[in-house]
Amino acid sequence: MPAARYNPMSEKVEGKISRRRFITASIGAGVIGIIVGAAGAWLLKPEVVAEKTVTTTLTREVTKTVTATAPITVTPPPVGIDMVAQRAIDGVKNLIAKGAAKPGDTIRILHVAGSRANLEKAIELWSKYIPEIKIELITLGQEPDVYTKAMSEAVTKAGTFDAVTIFSTWLGDIIEAGLARPIDDFFSKYDPGYTGDIAPIEPLASYTTLYKGRRYALVFDSDVFTLSYRRDLLVDPKLKDQFRSQYGMELKLPDTWEELVKMAEFFTKLNLTAPSGGRVWGAYFYAEPRFAAYITWLNIFIESGGILFDLKTMDPKIDTREGRYAFDVMLRLKPYMPPEAITASWADLYDKFVKGETVFTAAWPSLSKEAHRPTALVKDAAGSAVLPGVEVDVAGAKKIVRAAPNPVNWVAVISNYAKNPELTYLFFQFATSPDIGKDVILTGVILDLFRRCWFTDPKYRPAFEEGYGSEFVDAYLKSLEISFPDLLIRGGPEYLGKLTVNVNAVMAGTKDPEDALSETAADWDSINKKYGVDAQLEAWRALANLFPSDVKEVWRAKGYM
Amino acid sequence: MRNSPPKIITYLANLPLNLLLYATLIIPFALMIYLAFLAWNPAAGINWWEAPFTGVNNFIRAFLDSRFLAALGRTTAFVVIVVTIEFFLGLALAYFMLEEFKGKKISLSLIIYPLMLPWVVVALIFYLFFQDYGPMNNVFLKLIIGESAQNIHWFLSSTTAFISLIIADVWQWTPFIFLVMYSGLSAVSKRLIEAAQVLGASSRTIFWRIQLPLIKPLILIAIVLRALEAFKVFDIAYVMTGGGPGTSTETISLYIYRVAIEYHDISYAAALSLIVLVILVIIIRAFIWYSFERGVKR
Amino acid sequence: MSQKFISKLTRYLVIIVFLSWVLIPVLWMVTLAFKSYPEWRVAYFFPKEPTFMNFILIFEPKQIVGMMGATALVDPVTLPFINSLLVVGTSTVLSVMIGFFTAYGASRYNSPGPFSLFFTLLTRMLPPATFVTPIMVYYSNLKLLDSHLGLVMLYSAVTVTYGIWILKGFIDQVPIEWEQAALLEGASHLRVVFRVTLPIVKSGLVVSGLFIFLLNWAELLFALVLTNVQAVTLPVHISKYVGAVGQLYGPQAALGILSSLIPVIIGYLIQKHLVTAFTFGMVR
Repeated sequence: MPAARYNPMSEKVEGKISRRRFITASIGAGVIGIIVGAAGAWLLKPEVVAEKTVTTTLTREVTKTVTATAPITVTPPPVGIDMVAQRAIDGVKNLIAKGAAKPGDTIRILHVAGSRANLEKAIELWSKYIPEIKIELITLGQEPDVYTKAMSEAVTKAGTFDAVTIFSTWLGDIIEAGLARPIDDFFSKYDPGYTGDIAPIEPLASYTTLYKGRRYALVFDSDVFTLSYRRDLLVDPKLKDQFRSQYGMELKLPDTWEELVKMAEFFTKLNLTAPSGGRVWGAYFYAEPRFAAYITWLNIFIESGGILFDLKTMDPKIDTREGRYAFDVMLRLKPYMPPEAITASWADLYDKFVKGETVFTAAWPSLSKEAHRPTALVKDAAGSAVLPGVEVDVAGAKKIVRAAPNPVNWVAVISNYAKNPELTYLFFQFATSPDIGKDVILTGVILDLFRRCWFTDPKYRPAFEEGYGSEFVDAYLKSLEISFPDLLIRGGPEYLGKLTVNVNAVMAGTKDPEDALSETAADWDSINKKYGVDAQLEAWRALANLFPSDVKEVWRAKGYM
Repeated sequence: MRNSPPKIITYLANLPLNLLLYATLIIPFALMIYLAFLAWNPAAGINWWEAPFTGVNNFIRAFLDSRFLAALGRTTAFVVIVVTIEFFLGLALAYFMLEEFKGKKISLSLIIYPLMLPWVVVALIFYLFFQDYGPMNNVFLKLIIGESAQNIHWFLSSTTAFISLIIADVWQWTPFIFLVMYSGLSAVSKRLIEAAQVLGASSRTIFWRIQLPLIKPLILIAIVLRALEAFKVFDIAYVMTGGGPGTSTETISLYIYRVAIEYHDISYAAALSLIVLVILVIIIRAFIWYSFERGVKR
Repeated sequence: MSQKFISKLTRYLVIIVFLSWVLIPVLWMVTLAFKSYPEWRVAYFFPKEPTFMNFILIFEPKQIVGMMGATALVDPVTLPFINSLLVVGTSTVLSVMIGFFTAYGASRYNSPGPFSLFFTLLTRMLPPATFVTPIMVYYSNLKLLDSHLGLVMLYSAVTVTYGIWILKGFIDQVPIEWEQAALLEGASHLRVVFRVTLPIVKSGLVVSGLFIFLLNWAELLFALVLTNVQAVTLPVHISKYVGAVGQLYGPQAALGILSSLIPVIIGYLIQKHLVTAFTFGMVR
């Protein structure tokens, strides 16, 4: 018997390994770990990059790095290409002529899979004019992966890529980590068309590209939320009568969230059947824990005149009347929303609306694109409008304040460790120009329009109307003009992540709104302290200034600003 | 037992292992330990070798972090429940699969199939399954409890969300225990079994009194390894519930992932990982001791 | 007689119940692979409008607008598939080999000792998220980023524990007298190990090899961070199937099936080796 058992000797020896020896060994391992780690840390630091090209923290004085150069001579553009793109092309040719770039050079771009089609289109068009410069795409599936890789690059400085498309939310982090190269100099030298009719719509253009007053990114996309709704249900005369008799007001596009709650209640109680066979819900607004719950809350909060941080002290100001009101509205909407709004991932909102199972919803422009596809069940009934607002007291007069959130939003950032930053920048100027940009955006699915001419100029508008629907294009232009940024100061994802988890907890019923707000405020406080209140305040002040004028007006009226 | 192994054995038993581990893991691991004692994160704008040394601050912060402690407790409960269920299921299955029967080869391949799927795919399968519009409510539960199945929202309440994760994990990992048990049990000498049968023991007695005790070390290993993996459960929590509702299904791996990657608080995450490591070491050590002591006493 | 029948019946019952439990989600995955976007979030199993698009898509990525709500252009699955085979195959062999020798030394001679052995368990106790940055820094300095070698090293190091512990459990069961007998007959120690011990623990080699293979085949986080274009593995590739409508469940299910083919083939082939036959007598 014993022979087939496990070796008794090793058992006894095992037992004899005394606790004391184990503990000392563990502590020893820990101490050695620290020492080796420190030694490894010292040995593993990458070669020191020439200080001139790297700006580490931004608490240094901002020195103007604009190089005054003679204006580029622009050759008359060939038919079908705008000046912005032409300047980019000429710029590249200049670089090659001067020897600053060589044929066969490669630009490496890190991006997310969703934008692959767009970038491939840009590359296709680029190679028509500049075939000698190659573009290589490093594609990752999910956004957190791009974020991780970008932040890792900031640490390793390995030069893995020359540019990265990031969420505007990450701007603060990416910039402060030293990865993003300020591009004011390139803006001056090549003029990417940020003024006049062709300019990206303000305030979005500013708040997605400026940080503490300097330019760091090119707008590559816009992500402002609009209200999507089932037009067929809203114009139905029978339903209009029913609604009028029940609620004493007209069934129309809601101007305020209060009105929307009533309409959502009405439709949900009707228990209609959608084209897909499922039931129709009155509303679906984001409340899910992975990432999107903060959007709805922030929307109502800002419209109520709330401000995220005090402009003098950086104290979080979310545990306020406005914050509580936002929760109040969301909780009142809860019975009229499917449970997926609280549990499922963001894509389920799209699925439900496309199937016609939601009456009122809000999401990115791509929702309108999807709803207009031939295979969408809600195809002819999908409507778009500006999001409802909140009625606020502004200097004695009641006013409905509307503001549209712009969560995420892809922007292109040039790496400080790029082999040829100027060349890389020129690719993006080319890809985001009025003509080329139009094709790039219309080719794919996750990038959306942002230049004014695309909305207003008859040369461009029809193409966009075809992709999105004309009602959307109008509504979107208005929404862009009243849009406000994500919290894109340093730590943005962390602030918003902690807010999202708490918003979701409130909606799921596991936390009180009061507790949620005070806990989030406490969390935000520690984040402030982690990065330095003064540094954060500087970034916040700069950002708050870029909020839409309606919102700033309310802030002034309330004494926040 | 020989006390002095031949040189070649010593070399082969130690050198390759050490080479592999030290070349690959030691330096990053040491770096991680070092990071835990710093106050650093990439967005602070300074390089990590310049970051200030803060001693045990991160660790103190961890012990005051209720979200961390909750995740720890929650994950421990998850591991205990899940490993217990998987162990008994796996063992029972191994018992029944031991003899030859028609269709055994196919059954075996099918039983272990869950292990062969990419974890993201398993997670998305169960995500779709447990949604309100999914088959769990509308097909299966409907058969059992009728229309009221529509009122169960799996991911909306902490308890049911937790249960859904348990179901997904048991589905995916029972085959692991089964496989270890199965190969171990079938490795028991046929002679012993035949001898026992000659002496009149029933197959059940043989199983409980002979086979199981012989593979006791293997059982231990299977449980320890499974528990260690279960502790790191991430994919299903991330995809199915996102840690929700609120943070009530946030496992420790998910929380550390968020701290490291969403909040990029790398030093803090390193400290958290080290704490988890120490706790696991203590628990596993105690578990092994406990099992040995009992064995020796007999 | 009826006793035997009852036990036979119970066995079939148990196995059938368990198999149904296993196969229902598998059926869901398989049917999902034939569904287009409107049918991903439904309650029924079999698609009302089945399509092969998901399978075509993974080999020939092209924009399919309108069919499934649009998709992202990703590279065909061939390169990641080959990379995975290469990397995971190599690290499995390495882990098992190193694991075997270490387990042998640990089982017979306590070398490495129980403390070192315990230390190897540490590699499995770490939540990977924190390890990612240090190893990225380390690899970028060694120029091992986006390399097959780098992945093989990491995978082997991280799964060798499985090899060691499972094999030790098996080797412990092999009576040491058998080895001693062979040694007395004049065989060198190494020969004894290969000729006597190794064949007996074959099922242990197979089991641990299978597990190590499965673990590495499914590994995502490190592959994501440490590879860019050249050494991309299958799980990383699957994670790229995200479009404007979120994760593309259909193609991912199709990829799941494809991805599981290799382990299934391996599993089927090694089945008979999972059982050890003690063919030679043991004389007491």
